[in-house]
Amino acid sequence: MLPSLFDSTVWATLIAAVVAAVASILFLRTREFFYDALALAVTEIGLLLLAAGIVAGAITGRMTAGLWWTWDARLTAGLVCWLLYAPYLMLRSAMEEPTRRASAAAVVSILAFLDVPVAVVAVQWWLAHRSAAPGHTSGLVPASWGNILPVILLGAALAWLRLRREQRRRAADAERRTAQTI
Amino acid sequence: MRFVRQVLIVAAKDLRAEMRTKEALNASLAFALMILLLFSFAFEPTQDTMRDISGGLLWIAFAFAGTLTLNRSFARELPNDCLDGLIAAPIPGSALFLGKCFASFVLVLAVELVSLPVFGIFYNVHWTVQLPELLLVLLLGTWALTVIGTIFSALTVNIKLREVMLPMLTYPILIPALISAMQLTKDLVNGTPIGADNMDWLKMLIGFDIIFTAVSLALVETVLVG
Repeated sequence: MLPSLFDSTVWATLIAAVVAAVASILFLRTREFFYDALALAVTEIGLLLLAAGIVAGAITGRMTAGLWWTWDARLTAGLVCWLLYAPYLMLRSAMEEPTRRASAAAVVSILAFLDVPVAVVAVQWWLAHRSAAPGHTSGLVPASWGNILPVILLGAALAWLRLRREQRRRAADAERRTAQTI
Repeated sequence: MRFVRQVLIVAAKDLRAEMRTKEALNASLAFALMILLLFSFAFEPTQDTMRDISGGLLWIAFAFAGTLTLNRSFARELPNDCLDGLIAAPIPGSALFLGKCFASFVLVLAVELVSLPVFGIFYNVHWTVQLPELLLVLLLGTWALTVIGTIFSALTVNIKLREVMLPMLTYPILIPALISAMQLTKDLVNGTPIGADNMDWLKMLIGFDIIFTAVSLALVETVLVG
């Protein structure tokens, strides 16, 4: 289970990244705040799953090679993608005004999504050049559909819960604002 | 033609303002030189070590010093509501963006061109052996840094934490460009020309520049107006 967990979370995270990018583009086109909440929910859950996957990958490396971090190409690329999306949440918490925050976050999401394939290829070429220490295999194995599907379903369920919570929070916010104006 | 003129006017305005105060230029140059000096405490600069880390050392210094300049790019327009004036001016947002890009590009490049000989002297590296190719890598890498830095500078201009947010946003996106530039610079200062071995890195750097220039131009109106 553990050696394939990273691979499963990668699939779930890729789906989250695609949904976030599509939702961000749709927000910029329609200015419908539902898409902004959707992008936020899937990005948060994607980051959570990927973080869990990277930790599982590091533990696998420790168990098979005795090293926490073997500079495995996939694991390192995963970490780079995590760092690509983490500022998305930081930017959101640093901005107050909802419209500006939503459009700024959408721009970051689109730029990060376009960078994912480039960054993954760059990390892989770089580590191929570097030729990691011989004898240190990361111990990661590809996941089967039996492993991937539960993680995707878990991610979808968490994202749905997060989306509902975000929408409730926004509805409460809107009511408070109306009350204040009155 | 009109568009080119608008871009040049914005770039000239920024460069003129910078030349009068030199606030970003001086800070950025001092910072780059300081990083180059600080690195000498971290390791013994022997011939072998330098062969391996020259590219990384240079580009880390450039990227760090560059963000100081890029931070000022839009923040400079905040006093007296100059930014609102620029956005309301009868020029497209893409012209404003490209103008700011060119101005920062010139400033960052100037800092790099001063740091490079200093780096050569400090660490005894013969950086002139492949000068034209090295300049090409410098131009492409700096353009990647300025395009990404300028779009995020515009995005974070109204945030209180903008000095913190800009590097947080810029460096992860820049990773492919930085890896390419580091590998190419390392090869070039060690006398390895650009050939079959490292051509892929050059292609990646050019591709990165094209993709992110195009996307930034497409998104800049959203970034500026909200």
